[in-house]
Amino acid sequence: MRLDLSLLIPYIGLLAEGAVMTLEIAVLSLAGSVVLGMVVAIARAGKSATMRRIAFFYADVFRNVPFIVQLFFFYYGLPEIGIYIDAFTTGVVALSIAGGAYASDVIRAGILAIDDGILEAAEVSGLSRRKIFTLIVLPIALRTSVRPLGSVLINIILTSSVLSTITLNELTGQARIVSSDTFRPFEVYVVLLAVYGVLTYLVSTGVSMLHRRLNRDLQPEVN
Amino acid sequence: MLIVENVVKAFGSLVVLDGVSLTVKPGEVVTILGSSGSGKSTLIRCINGIEKLDAGRITVDDFDVTKPRELAEARKRSGTVFQLFNLYPHMTALSNITLAPIEVLKRPRAEAEAEARALLASVGLEDKVDVYPAQLSGGQRQRVGICRALAMKPRYLLLDEVTSALDPEMTSEVLDILAKLARDGTTMVFVTHEIEFARRISDRIVFLEKGKLITNLPTAEFFSAAGGLALPRVAQFLSKMQKA
Repeated sequence: MRLDLSLLIPYIGLLAEGAVMTLEIAVLSLAGSVVLGMVVAIARAGKSATMRRIAFFYADVFRNVPFIVQLFFFYYGLPEIGIYIDAFTTGVVALSIAGGAYASDVIRAGILAIDDGILEAAEVSGLSRRKIFTLIVLPIALRTSVRPLGSVLINIILTSSVLSTITLNELTGQARIVSSDTFRPFEVYVVLLAVYGVLTYLVSTGVSMLHRRLNRDLQPEVN
Repeated sequence: MLIVENVVKAFGSLVVLDGVSLTVKPGEVVTILGSSGSGKSTLIRCINGIEKLDAGRITVDDFDVTKPRELAEARKRSGTVFQLFNLYPHMTALSNITLAPIEVLKRPRAEAEAEARALLASVGLEDKVDVYPAQLSGGQRQRVGICRALAMKPRYLLLDEVTSALDPEMTSEVLDILAKLARDGTTMVFVTHEIEFARRISDRIVFLEKGKLITNLPTAEFFSAAGGLALPRVAQFLSKMQKA
């Protein structure tokens, strides 16, 4: 058998639609998981013992259960108790919750790595706790956590392929349709490999650029 | 007036400050000497409210640092310079200096920046305004640290071993600035191991030993045979430090 990509030409539009949906899901879930990760990281590094316990519980549960099980629970389980959410929203929410558990780990590590002396300097200068957090703690923590957050993002993109199992026609979902239409899974999945590869490569390049920008004060060899 | 009254501070069973009392009048330069672990840095950290007191009272111009409501006012009146600089790594020299004036004193940005530039120029760093801490030498970082403290126009400048992390050349850069501040009448509480320098700029010298303040004398008297040197512990400390 020979590789003949030309037979996929009629399906380019369909695959492109899938790619766009994958991108949409990735962008929304990334925002969701970073926001959630930030909130949970704050709770985990914070003073209230109750909040800390809740936050640890969340992070532990969602890191220790297979994503597909979480997804099925949201999509097939919740309607049983009267909660209906459409597939797209379910996918984005599930990815955000799962991604948020990992993001919270990364951001929390960034927060804990901040030198106490820097916080003391901010404290004695009279800045309020909130100002210290938003102007000192968060920016420094993000500086150190952009790179590992990038890995979380890439994982979100890769994991979004699982959403095809809840009827969502993102890139992998469309590919399955095209594959069963053409009976040429080899060509279809070669293309899919390449598209995911390019997508994640672009993301990691972007993350590296952001990392360099946020750490522009450091010597080049440190970056 | 900065008044420290019978301050006790313990970390677990280790008593670090054991009934320390001290008064610093406006315009005075008071140096705190003592060996490592004698409680010098802890005293500074109690004055600026980083450490909570176990007993006693500290007031900065009548604002009590032990009262949460008055701590903010007390802190506005003192500025701290740290041994390890503690600059904000993600901000330029200029932003390090203007952050608190803008956010805490609500000064207009343009005004705060103009003052910060003037401060940087006064310590010879006019060309480092937009540079980040990681790109500065230790001595330059500490000069920025001093500017950051001065930008709040503190009535009392607290200096916690500010040259201990610097080599001799950088140390002298920083000491020159402190000497100038002393000449200009800045009130300073100065924790240091630079004995000769302390002798030159201080009005009074306080000696801490195992958390107790064992002497508090005008500088000349502290170094005289009948004064500080008559105390065996002080004489021993000074001879050791001067040999080193």
